[in-house]
Amino acid sequence: MTPQRNTIFEESAEILANVHHPGDQFVMRVKAPKTAATAEPGQFVHLQVSDERPMRRPISIMLTDPEKGTVDLLVKAIGEGTRLLRERKVGETMPILGPIGRPFDLSDHSKRYVLIGGGVGIPPMIFCAMHLIDKASTVVFAGSEVEFPFALKPSTALLPGVGGNTILGITSLEERGITSRLASNAGFYGCYEGHVPDLARDYLLALNEEERSRCVLLSCGPHPMLHAVARVGRELGLPTYLSLEEHMACAIGGCAGCVVKTVEEGEEKYRRVCVDGPVFEASLLPEFA
Amino acid sequence: MPKSDSPVPDLSVPFAGLTLQSPIVLLSGCVGFGEEYTRVEGFSNKDVGAVILKGTTLEPRMGNAPHRVYETPSGMLNAIGLQNPGTRYVIDNILPNLPHSETQFWANANGTSLEEYAEIAAIFDDSPVTAIEINISCPNVKEGGVHFGNDPVMAGKVVEAMRPMTKKPLITKLSPNNADIAETARHCIEAGTDGLSVINTLVGMAVDIESRKPIIGNISGGLSGPAIKPVALWKIHQTRAVAAKHNIPILGQGGITSGKDAIEFAITGSDAIGVGTGLFYDPLLCGKILEELRDYLSKHNMESYQELVGTLQS
Repeated sequence: MTPQRNTIFEESAEILANVHHPGDQFVMRVKAPKTAATAEPGQFVHLQVSDERPMRRPISIMLTDPEKGTVDLLVKAIGEGTRLLRERKVGETMPILGPIGRPFDLSDHSKRYVLIGGGVGIPPMIFCAMHLIDKASTVVFAGSEVEFPFALKPSTALLPGVGGNTILGITSLEERGITSRLASNAGFYGCYEGHVPDLARDYLLALNEEERSRCVLLSCGPHPMLHAVARVGRELGLPTYLSLEEHMACAIGGCAGCVVKTVEEGEEKYRRVCVDGPVFEASLLPEFA
Repeated sequence: MPKSDSPVPDLSVPFAGLTLQSPIVLLSGCVGFGEEYTRVEGFSNKDVGAVILKGTTLEPRMGNAPHRVYETPSGMLNAIGLQNPGTRYVIDNILPNLPHSETQFWANANGTSLEEYAEIAAIFDDSPVTAIEINISCPNVKEGGVHFGNDPVMAGKVVEAMRPMTKKPLITKLSPNNADIAETARHCIEAGTDGLSVINTLVGMAVDIESRKPIIGNISGGLSGPAIKPVALWKIHQTRAVAAKHNIPILGQGGITSGKDAIEFAITGSDAIGVGTGLFYDPLLCGKILEELRDYLSKHNMESYQELVGTLQS
């Protein structure tokens, strides 16, 4: 398939905010109007963390404001590149390439989208949820073992299968009418004590069969969590889409450096996470099947 | 100072019987099958003299298990393992859809035997590619590849096997991992190569200290990027001593990330300059290199890129 020309933009993005949170997390807002205007949920940007690093870093988009031209990113400083990114100051600029990748398919508004995010995999779920406002039934489950880098408030909506103490949701979603719940093993107040896929499973099992059959699972997060989400999808016979990450060089499909193994019509292939993904149907991925 | 009415320097270059509209060539393995970078707004095929397609084998190859790439100081390791859909598929399904009016596309041929190299040459002979680069230096596959490139006699035999199968220019990509690159160049020239690509990646590895496993799925990978630039310049210098005697042009490459780098490669003897890993850092690098080249040539009262090539002073 011939790639679509001029769909990815290289912009010199000014850092408008860089707010540090516990657990080495930081939320960055950058000005990148072309990316902001065209990005879709599930896409990512590829950015130069510093002049000193030869490779860029792929980071999921959490939210865009097409009118203000801004892009929000949630990052965890886990290696040298992301540590350098965390130290970048408001007012500095950095080259940013985006938006990149095949987004989540959110086009069937008769579905109920069950969004399951873990840690720095939460951002694409927030982007999806915001996109689905007033369009389709949506519920967000987010898990973290460090403090959530968002404002939280008690959710006002009841969710079937979700216990009495699991009351907190993400404020920005709740205020827009999207129901959310949180999970953690760290003993945080108002959160489900356990793993987020188990929380989502409790909810799905409490739905009646007709409601459950309309659900689609979308997920992004650490691999053990994605494995658990894929298991829930298989157990309940629900379509499941996972957003993956992999070491990445070019991020535009040129180098085939960032691959994942798929099985399509019985044939094994390596697909590029950057442009064939990052979103893949779980049933195509032998690692998660 | 340049005269204000001095003409814009000519950046087109002759190379192995071809005329390239720009001295920049996009390197095999970095730019997919030719069209990937046109996704990026501001990237133009017209800024480059040729695009070398992903390394192609006779039969399809899945490539290596991940991880395939890893950042290292001033560079990166890669071990893709020649993932490609096979020569026939490239001819039937990819080449017909490429914009041949915007730039030239070259094939990059990889065999596991002399017969395979010859067959690939024969197949590409009847195709719109304008040249065939011979990859005898891929470090990331178990058979063929660098095993031919490390032996000067075998390298020459690969060229010899392909030469009668095609009228298209053959450009042999030399490995920096062997003892005497000039000797390999000499064998390839005697066997009929029309040009030389210098250099391919250097073999290296990286280790994860927590799992104590190699980070790259293939264990070893090819090192590219600015880290290898001094090696590349030295290998070009050595190769040129042989190639210039036979009027064989060099496509110099290895860590070019700026116009200044490109100028160093030109001075050292690169008739054309290859860009690969540098694109990963800056996908709009080619336009910037051309601008810097024009400025430099004007400032030094040179009329063309060609005038700069091989002007290294002793």
